[in-house]
Amino acid sequence: MTRVRPGGLALGAALLVALVGLSAWHATQGTTQLGVTELLGWLAGEQGNTAVIVESRLPRIAAAIVVGLALGAAGYAMQTLTGNPLASPDTLAVNGGAGAAIALAAVFGISLPGIGGAGLAFAGGLIAALLVVAIGRGRGSTTQMVLVGTALALALQSVTTVAIILAEQETAGLYAWGVGQLSQNGIGTVAQLLPLVLLGIAALLLLSRRLDVLALGEEAATIVGVGVGRLRLLTLVASVALAAAAVAIAGPIGFVGLAAPIVVRLLVARIPGAGRHLVAIPLAALAGAVLVVGSDVLLRAVLPASAALDVPTGVVTSLVGAVCIVVLSRTIAGANETESMTVLGSRTMARRAWVPIVIAALVLATLTIGAVLLGDRMLLLGDVANWLGGRAGDAVRVTLDTRTPRVAAAVLAGVALAISGGLVQAVARNALADPYLLGVAGGAGLGAISVITLAPAAVGWMVAGGALGGGALAGALVLVLVGWRRLGSLRLVLTGLALSAGTAALTSMLIVVTDPYNQAKAIVWLAGSTYGRGFEDVVPVAVTLVVAVLALTWMHRDLDLAQLDESTPRLLGVRLSAVQVVALVVAVALTSTAVAAIGVVAFVGLVAPHAARAIVGARHRALLPLAALLGGTLTLLADTLGRTLIAPAQLPAGVMTALVGIPYFIWLVLQAGRAR
Amino acid sequence: MSKRTLLASAAVLSALVLAACGTTEPSGPAATDEPSGEAVTVTDARGVEVEIPAGVEDVVALEWVAVEHLQTVGIVPVGVADAAGYVDWSGTGAPLEGEPTDVGTRTEPSIDAIAALAPGLIVAVAGRDEGAYADLEAVAPVLVLQGADAADPIGTMLADLRLTAEATGTADAAETAIGEFQAHLDEVEDQVEEAGLTGTPLAHMDGYENGGQVEIRPYAKGALLPAVLEEVGFTNAWPGEGDPQYGLGISDVEGLTALPDDAQIIYMTVGERDVFTEQLATNAIWTGLPTVQAGKVHRLPDGIWLFGGVSSMTAYVDAVVASLAPAP
Repeated sequence: MTRVRPGGLALGAALLVALVGLSAWHATQGTTQLGVTELLGWLAGEQGNTAVIVESRLPRIAAAIVVGLALGAAGYAMQTLTGNPLASPDTLAVNGGAGAAIALAAVFGISLPGIGGAGLAFAGGLIAALLVVAIGRGRGSTTQMVLVGTALALALQSVTTVAIILAEQETAGLYAWGVGQLSQNGIGTVAQLLPLVLLGIAALLLLSRRLDVLALGEEAATIVGVGVGRLRLLTLVASVALAAAAVAIAGPIGFVGLAAPIVVRLLVARIPGAGRHLVAIPLAALAGAVLVVGSDVLLRAVLPASAALDVPTGVVTSLVGAVCIVVLSRTIAGANETESMTVLGSRTMARRAWVPIVIAALVLATLTIGAVLLGDRMLLLGDVANWLGGRAGDAVRVTLDTRTPRVAAAVLAGVALAISGGLVQAVARNALADPYLLGVAGGAGLGAISVITLAPAAVGWMVAGGALGGGALAGALVLVLVGWRRLGSLRLVLTGLALSAGTAALTSMLIVVTDPYNQAKAIVWLAGSTYGRGFEDVVPVAVTLVVAVLALTWMHRDLDLAQLDESTPRLLGVRLSAVQVVALVVAVALTSTAVAAIGVVAFVGLVAPHAARAIVGARHRALLPLAALLGGTLTLLADTLGRTLIAPAQLPAGVMTALVGIPYFIWLVLQAGRAR
Repeated sequence: MSKRTLLASAAVLSALVLAACGTTEPSGPAATDEPSGEAVTVTDARGVEVEIPAGVEDVVALEWVAVEHLQTVGIVPVGVADAAGYVDWSGTGAPLEGEPTDVGTRTEPSIDAIAALAPGLIVAVAGRDEGAYADLEAVAPVLVLQGADAADPIGTMLADLRLTAEATGTADAAETAIGEFQAHLDEVEDQVEEAGLTGTPLAHMDGYENGGQVEIRPYAKGALLPAVLEEVGFTNAWPGEGDPQYGLGISDVEGLTALPDDAQIIYMTVGERDVFTEQLATNAIWTGLPTVQAGKVHRLPDGIWLFGGVSSMTAYVDAVVASLAPAP
């Protein structure tokens, strides 16, 4: 047997003590005045409060503990499995799948008694994760699986958003659940899923010896005779089952499966013998439990009990987890190493780059004309001519007056996001980097939604200003936390990811607290909608684009060098840091104004530059124009489909970009895998 | 990519362009029929002065309560946001009249669809952003109703009805409806007294279930429902606070132990998703509530809009009385 050294035991004991203490505190919190005295009385045999304690307090504690254990263990195993610290239930789409399943059930009026609802969440999460594995399995690096998972999670999130928008009445309360809530309707759900969680953790512990070897690298594992394929499959099944069980109990509680394992990884690296999976997995599980219980205690200690019902626990775990990751990304092993851009293939400049660029421009032009004609009411070119000449009738005039700014907003925001994504990827040299993942889009969204909720009469420039402020703040925070010299590191992505989750949590909190009965408005806005946009809303992004194009014309060669590595540009006399900072500033301005114009659109900044790079190679002279055209096309297409498909009802462009772009993105990832 | 491909694309493109030429409307100046009579100017819930042509007929309603107010004063809207949802959630208390065009969701109604109806007036409820109003105002005058205000829920409902009437020149119809509503409340108050129910504490609550979790939203002081119930002699059993607009509170099952022992619970939902009979059936806190043990939980008929106007509220009090004191 593995020898456990005292260090690991001590850490485990400390976590256990913390967990017991927090749980005891937790038991005294709730929506009724039932505190320590009553609890002690119940322990001594008083019956008066039994129902509340047994059906409300204890199930909630049990849920918090079990969810934390499951997520901590699952996250740790997923990270070893993929060799990627970004792997977690969130990035393998477990949470997204569960959310979508629940949303669809609500829309179709399906109500299952008992723990049926939880079972639905479990099935949804499991199916989504299996889909990710089926798509990503055996196709090159594990980063690709995380990419596929992130993409699928976004798509599933869009499904949930669509459900909330189209069936506002039927999905009441779903938004809060989707952020992660611990309320329990009796002990049933936890009791039924506990065996599964214990089984999952036991399975991981049985596999721990072989996971130790796998952690050393796939080759080492094969040499020692570990069946890597089978080990992977078993670990995956166990950890996905754990994560799905957690969602079934409490909804998608964010970031625990990412934060708890990272904390433990950092700690056990300093304790001899504790790095073995047999020790580390239970430690990660305990850390997860402490994180979830602690967050819930914090929430209920800070806010009055009924307000604490409005603010889901997942908001707090996301915030706590975000802080953890930001702190740890400064010290975690490998976080300062630079990632290469090779994941999605980067050829040099294609020989005739102008051909695809011209074609893309033609396509965008055609689609723009089409978008002006298409809509709830179809128009013909003659109508547009009349409108331009001021001769159109009322209905046509009004239709085009409102439709053209939306088309312009979609195209310009798409262009801005794509260029921004290209810049961020060049600076970070990381396939996962995009303005959304770096927290800039999230910051801009938070800024804008703050202005909208706190100043009800806010319009145009105020919202843009809020977005720019939020985006710039998030960008500056990332820079300060990461440091100038580590822009090309994994630390940048980790910090950005943390910030992204943190701002998303704060945004949810703002929506849930300020306007619990009008969530649809904020959701629509956050999902990236061109609804109600006028030309005045488009001006900020247009102005920024002009400035950005000028700046990039001047510095595109420096960017070509900057994306290679740290030393080459310096050897060639390029002031690397300055180039990187300018590129990031431009990227932040582009993203923020785009977010102000059409809301948080998640996918364009990631997919457009990738596609462009695959077609014309990595030279920015060709890459950025093509990315811009592709980004504009994608957003425009999404907006047009959103306006026309189910007219007169409409879907936000951001939802549609996810649904339109993701199949392509997954195909792209798989292509890169095959090319290896 | 060859030149041939380019040429082919160009050919297809120009073919498409040619095909898309023409217009969807008759050429020449559109015949704008000038409305007869004076325009009406009213100040709406935004504090904006809205000028509406006299005798306006084609009206679009973007919220369900606006549909009801319009129907109450005798105007059948030509366009309604989420008409199917209206039938489900509001159609029993205030049945949908005519066959209005669906103009999209209540959150993002389609400007195209509304413009195509060429309405004379659009009635909305406060809470949308300015950009949307600006687009709508290009189509027709926009009258924004207050919708709800926990400081004076019934007064707000009646003020919205009167504002709708003033804007559409139907003040008499509104006063008649309000008179009938108040007379009906008086009648019901007598019924309640006869049935010996005066002073009965009632708690109206919504219940949601998502992923097996149960969330309760009770109507607190300031909400329209308890205010109407108090008018007919009941009291509000829910002790908690609500939000400043709708007067809605929030609770979990544990929080329900705050209900007085003699409270009656009433709720409404649509379809099979019934938290109170499904998810709570096995919950010991719920089944242990004195109210529940005494069988004092009542589901109202589907389709009475709980944020509606005088017709919905009339149907509501009638339904409450009918379920508390079934006719012999």
